[in-house]
Parts: sequence; structure tokens; C-alpha cells
Amino acid sequence: MNGPDTWRRWALSLPAVAVIMLFSILPLGVVLVYSFLTPGDFGNVKWIFSTDGWFSVLFERNIFDDTIGLSGANLSILFRSIILSVLTTLITLIFGVPTAWFIATRPPTQRNFWLFLITIPFWTNLLVRTIAVQEMIRSEGVFNRILLALGLIKEPIQMMYTDFAVLLGMTYVFLPLMVLPVYAAIEKFDFRLAEASYDLYASRLFCLRRVILPLIKPGVIAGSILVFVPSLGAYVTPRVMGGGKSMMLGNLIDLQFGQGRNWPLGAALSITLTVLVLLALIWYTRLTAGRKERDHG
Amino acid sequence: MLDIRGLSKRFGYGKGEVTALHEVSFSIAEGEFFTLLGPSGCGKTTLLRLIAGFISPSGGSLVLDGKDIAAMPPNRRPVNTVFQSYALFPHMTVGENVAFALEAQGRPRSEIDPAVDKMLSLVQLLHLKNRKSSELSGGQQQRVALARALVAKPRILLLDEPLSALDMKLRKDMQIELKRLQRETGLTFIFVTHDQEEALTMSDRIAVMSGGRVQQIATPRELYDSPANRFVAGFIGESNFLAAKAANGAVEVGQGRMALEGAADGPLTLMIRPEHVMLAGNAPDALELEATVDQLVFFGTDTHVHLGLADGAKLVARVQNALHGTRNLNEGERIRIALPAKALRIVNDEEIAA
Ligand SMILES: Nc1ncnc2c1ncn2[C@@H]1O[C@H](COP(=O)(O)OP(=O)(O)OP(=O)(O)O)[C@@H](O)[C@H]1O
Ligand SMILES: [Mg+2]
Repeated sequence: MNGPDTWRRWALSLPAVAVIMLFSILPLGVVLVYSFLTPGDFGNVKWIFSTDGWFSVLFERNIFDDTIGLSGANLSILFRSIILSVLTTLITLIFGVPTAWFIATRPPTQRNFWLFLITIPFWTNLLVRTIAVQEMIRSEGVFNRILLALGLIKEPIQMMYTDFAVLLGMTYVFLPLMVLPVYAAIEKFDFRLAEASYDLYASRLFCLRRVILPLIKPGVIAGSILVFVPSLGAYVTPRVMGGGKSMMLGNLIDLQFGQGRNWPLGAALSITLTVLVLLALIWYTRLTAGRKERDHG
Repeated sequence: MLDIRGLSKRFGYGKGEVTALHEVSFSIAEGEFFTLLGPSGCGKTTLLRLIAGFISPSGGSLVLDGKDIAAMPPNRRPVNTVFQSYALFPHMTVGENVAFALEAQGRPRSEIDPAVDKMLSLVQLLHLKNRKSSELSGGQQQRVALARALVAKPRILLLDEPLSALDMKLRKDMQIELKRLQRETGLTFIFVTHDQEEALTMSDRIAVMSGGRVQQIATPRELYDSPANRFVAGFIGESNFLAAKAANGAVEVGQGRMALEGAADGPLTLMIRPEHVMLAGNAPDALELEATVDQLVFFGTDTHVHLGLADGAKLVARVQNALHGTRNLNEGERIRIALPAKALRIVNDEEIAA
């Protein structure tokens, strides 16, 4: 370990460090600084320190008597974002795990075909995909027309611009992100273990609970994170499916930087989102690290 | 206790149909160490999987203690398996692996814990109870697989080439260990192997299989002394085969001639084990022949003498060095040999086939 060697190693890792600084740390720093400034009159910021941005994330000042209350609008959007993301994760789990199971248990030659079908939507623009879902459920859309034609309903059902619409859109968009990692885990599963468990008097349910689920858990956790994190920050889908009625965090942030002209609040909300994502990731590493520790200890 | 009657198994259909097992029938007695022996692809694993219930037969019946179990799912059969790959649950400890069967049966904890400890001490692994099963050596995994399959006291234990993944030394130790376990538990073992020596040393009875059929079922001694056909003779131990001709109650090989009962007139095949070939003439009741010493191969305890007959046939004689020695023999020398009548067997050239 001499001088030139250390220097060389530093020089070689410089590009990576530069990229991380430039594209990750620096923008985050800018956002953090902006969240402590004063909103400008026509957007942008004035360089005057203020915690109003952070204050407005959760609270609001009554215009008439200057009392402080919780910000109902922001809280409900925050709350909706979390609930919808959790629900999206759960629903993609319910549909994704059996789908992954189905694909992984096909003969190897057929698996690629099914995986191809799952990944096709990835190759289509997100906006186009979301509008396709909209086309299914809008008042003059496919579902309503079929139901009307069958005489099951007299009036079209209003499905667009509801939490249901956002949930449907996000489930559709994020399902492949659940299927793929779970598939990878099931494909690695040694089915001789299932056979061994049947031999040792296990019922199907017992085998599922005690052998299969514990062994595919890493894939299930990875899929959940891959769905939950982008759900939380989703922008396009709630925008198209929820409109102004069923907003999520992403849309609220967009609003502050646009019409709201409150960049510090937008920045504070962005940091809040990042922290929520970070918490989810910490939970994830805890889960997997715990597993590894037990694997080795 | 276990009666297998006309059991057959076909895989695939149409042109791709493979018959892995052709109407196999035999019975296994309580407490027996029964071995299925045969070359690769002869249907040993298929037969074992039929008994375990992982696949269902194409025909025939499987009767355990008077009940036909052919339609019973594996988790209801009182039969457990030690898999060739062990198939230990990698996310569980040794103790959890062994407890699995009892937990699946819904036994109370108070019953499970002592049973697991007892089983683990039987295979001498109690000290590794809390170790992850993926952190064990091959031999240790083998013992865990055994303990796991034995803990629920099955009526029959099936073992599919359980020792094939172990090295030679460990293999010998485990053979003795397995035999001890079988004696101590008094359980019925059905053991699969393609190693004839392993089969001979461990089994009460052996079924020699080939091409999805049972060629012979007998004790190791009977199999060795009186193989039913050329396949069995060739598969178990070493053998010499001689083309002979029978006429008027006598057999002829080249110039040699000897009275032998039970030989139908016409061509036939004689079999003799190398240790029975005598390197001297003038033996009573023996077939005497002239031979050339082609090669002497020293093996420590004994020497293999490769012999060539006048008609081009080859024979091997095995001579124990301590008793006779071969120091007075030279390669290329012409000698007289004797094949004692009581060691000669007439073997059927055809194995049992379709
Ligand atoms: N699932 C299956 N589908 C089609 N053919 C099969 C199947 N399982 C076994 N066979 C065929 O049945 C025959 C017997 O196979 P089996 O596995 O019983 O042989 P084995 O005696 O156990 O051989 P080995 O010593 O190599 O393990 C083989 O020809 C094999 O190709
Ligand atoms: Mg096999």
C-alpha cells in the first residue's frame, strides 16, 4: 500500500463519485436548501430564510383569525398516497404471486413466451398505457357500454377521477414489477423440497406456509419494494386517472411548483416523499439483512 | 407386508411413450433390508417413487399391510424417503428439519421435542441441533436426512442411492451406520443402489433389475452362487463365460469334456467365478483345459491370472497370494487348468425381457 497506488485508486473511482455527486447529492441538496427559502412572487424563490415551507406540509394558518390548524388538504393527500401505495402493493401481490407461480411452473421453453407477454406493457409509453385503462372505465368506456348493453345498469357508473380509478391504473402499471422478482425467486425454488415435504406428511397448505413461502420471501419483498416506492411518488397515473379529485403526493408537489407558486413547500414535500421512500428501503434492508444473519449465524 | 403385484409404469404417450417398469411383482417382509440393484435407467427410482406415491402406476397394485395404497397421496402413506439429493429444507435448522414430519402431523410440542432429540442422538448429531442445515458436511446432511425420515416411525423407509454423493471412506462408514440403524429400529428398508458391492454387503435380499424388469430376487449369497442369467452373473461379482456344447449328459469345451447333469443337448453357456478356476490339472470332477498365461496382474491380496484358451476364449483366474502364490508362473507359459463341476453354472444367455 504505497502512495501512488492509493492515488490511482482515488483517480479511478473519481468518475463514479462525480456522477453520484452531480446527479444524486447535488439535486437533493438544492431541494433541501430551497425548502428553507421564501416563495417568490411569480414562482422561484427569494433568498430569505424561512421555515414556512416545512410548516405548510402539515399545518395551515387560518386567514381570518390567524389560528394554526392541521392542513386537511395536504394531510388527506399524504394519507391517500400511503394508503393507495399500500393497497397497490397488496393487490399486485395477490395477482402477481399466482401469475409468477404459473409462469415458473410452465415447461422452460414456454416461460419466455409468458414473460414476454408480461413485459410488453413496459415497451409502451406510460401515458398511453394509462389512457388505455382510462378508456376501459370512463363513462362512455368499454365497461360501462357492456353493462348498459346487457341492461345491468341504467346510468353509466362514474369510475373515473376516484381513488378506485387511481388504484386500478397503478395496479395495472406496476404489476410487472411484482411478477418479475417473484418469478425469479420461484424459478430458483427447488421443487424437490416440496416433494420432500409431501413425503413427510405435509398438506399443501403446510408446505406452502413452511417451505415455499419462506424460500420465495426475498423475491416477494423485492417485488413489494419495487411496487411500493414508485407508487408513492406516482405522478402520471393519478394525474390521468384521478384528475384534480384524487391527487397523490407527486401531483401535489407538481402543483406547488406550478400554479401554487410555492417552491419551498414543493421542495419540503419532495423531501418528505424521499424520507418515506428511505424508510421503506430501511425496512427492506432490515428484513433481508436479518435473513442473511440467520443464514450465516 | 408390502406386496407389489404386476406394477407397471409408462411415461409419455404416443410415439414418445417409455415403459419404465414392466409388470414387476414381489413381496417384502417386515424388518427386511431389501435392495433394488441395477444399471442406470433400469427403473429403480421409478419403482421407489411409485411406492412413495409421487407418481401413480399405469397398472398393477401396491398392497401395504393388506390395504391397496396405489391411490393414496404421499402425505398419507406411512412411507418416508431419504432422497439422493437429501432435499433438506435450507431455511431450517437441523432440529427443525427433523421436527418437520411430526409438526406436519400436528403432534403436540411435548411429544415432538423429545422425539427429535432421540432421533438426533441416534444419528449422533444432537450437538448440531441448532445449526442451519445448509452448513453441514455431506455426511452430516445424510444423517439429518435419515433422522428426518425416521422420526415419524414410517412402516417403510425408502432410500434412493443415499450414499452416492459421499466419498469412498465416508461411504463405507455410512454403510455400516445404515445397517446398524436398520437393526436398531427394526424398520423395513428399501434401498436403491447401482453399486453391487454395496448391495451384497448390506442387504437381506436383492432384486436385480434391468430394462424395467426384475431379473432375479435372492439373498446376496444365492445371487452370487447361482445367478439366474448371464446379465445377473455379469452384474454381480466377476464372472467367466464359456461357450460349450452338451450331448448325452456331458458338456464339451474345446478338447475338455466332463459329465454334467441337467444340461439339455445343444449349445449352452457355462459360468465360473475367477476364484474357482484352478491352475492345476488332475482334479476330480472337473473340466480340464489347456491354456496360455497371457498376463499376471498383482492386486496385493491376490493375483489375477489372465488366460487364453486354444479357441481364443479368455478366462480370468483369481489366486490368493497368501495361499498359493503365482511366483512359479510366467507370462506366455502353457498350463493345464481345471474348472470344478460344483463351481460351474449353466446360465441362460437371455435376460428376462419382453
Ligand atoms: N418423468 C419421466 N418422464 C419420462 N421418462 C421417464 C421419467 N422418469 C423416468 N423416465 C424413464 O424411465 C426409465 C427409468 O428411469 P429411472 O429414473 O427409474 O431409472 P434409475 O434406475 O433410477 O436410473 P439411475 O440409476 O440413473 O437413477 C428411464 O429410461 C427414464 O428415462
Ligand atoms: Mg435413480
